[in-house]
Amino acid sequence: VNSDEDLCAMMAGYLAGEIEAFDALYAALAARLRGYFVSLCHDAAVADDLLQETFMRLHRSRRTYQPGRPVLPWVFAIARHVFLMHRRATARRLRAHGELAEELQRANAASAAPAVPADRDELRRALRGVPPAQRQALLMHHVGDHSFAEIAEQLDLRPNAAKTRAFRGIQRMRELLKG
Amino acid sequence: MKAPAPLRSSIERDLKPARPLARPGVRALAVVPLAAAIVVGVPALHAFRADVAVIGFLRAWGFSIGQAVAGCTIVALALRESVPGRGLSRLALAATVVVGLALPLVVLLLTTSNFSVGAVDHAAWEGFVCFRTSALAAVPALLFAAALAARALPLRPAAAGALYGLGTGLMSDAGLRLYCDYSTLGHMVFGHVGAVAGVTVAGAALATFIQWIRE
Repeated sequence: VNSDEDLCAMMAGYLAGEIEAFDALYAALAARLRGYFVSLCHDAAVADDLLQETFMRLHRSRRTYQPGRPVLPWVFAIARHVFLMHRRATARRLRAHGELAEELQRANAASAAPAVPADRDELRRALRGVPPAQRQALLMHHVGDHSFAEIAEQLDLRPNAAKTRAFRGIQRMRELLKG
Repeated sequence: MKAPAPLRSSIERDLKPARPLARPGVRALAVVPLAAAIVVGVPALHAFRADVAVIGFLRAWGFSIGQAVAGCTIVALALRESVPGRGLSRLALAATVVVGLALPLVVLLLTTSNFSVGAVDHAAWEGFVCFRTSALAAVPALLFAAALAARALPLRPAAAGALYGLGTGLMSDAGLRLYCDYSTLGHMVFGHVGAVAGVTVAGAALATFIQWIRE
């Protein structure tokens, strides 16, 4: 374990542009920083990435170190910042993935829906060709989602008659669409 | 433990001697000329308060200089906050903001001889004029302090920005109080403390924006 004075001396060398001082600093701090990251993210591979990122950050911000002051609070403040940035970026990525997954699900659901005649006008024309009584029962059941019992009650029919009307309406439409 | 070769080589390629930043207190001295210019400039550009002879030199200039020094001290705290590992505790941060915002009111209580002075017919307009004058006067110092803080590495940019916003807001209010002699509470809260609070929020927003650009 290096004392504060050792670390300060290493930082002084690093600020003076000595690569050996960087090597010494890495040797002194890497294991501690890696342990810190593992305790935060519980993932050794991510901890290794964060360790590299932290040393890059330390390098870019080395001017902010004030000679003579303890090195560890400076280093760990930057390390914590690197971790928080990583966590924020991960959350953003997950959110983007979630949105993408939802979009794909919606697209799949749309492509799995029953085939619709390409020409809506054709469908409308066929519907107009169905006798009104049958059309009413057909629309109430297939579009309005009413049960045959409800249709029978509303149209003052027996349930079987409502079912027959809707069925005959569909048959008529099929004929018209084929023909 | 040895540094991985790619990391070591990229650092070695870029490694040059680097001069460390001066201590925050020393760097904050760079704001002092601007603070002096604001304190003198605001009343010089408008007019000195009518009761300046009544309240005397110490209560007029002395308290304004004191308030400007407090502003510079808070800018120094902002520069300290911008150094990794030297951030203020939440309690210290909150206490600084509360004390900073209360300062213009305390100075008013210590210096005003008559508490009923204020515009009756155009109170809202007069309040707005003070708010605008104070906020605009703070802009140069705010931008300068933002540049000073951005040279370091503020890890909590909103906190650092709020602090330098508060500091520069106090500097501009120190000049404004040499011009404005209104002492009604509503005017003080909106036109003076409100302007300091507004510059504080603007500082936090500016620092967050700078950080967003950097990231």
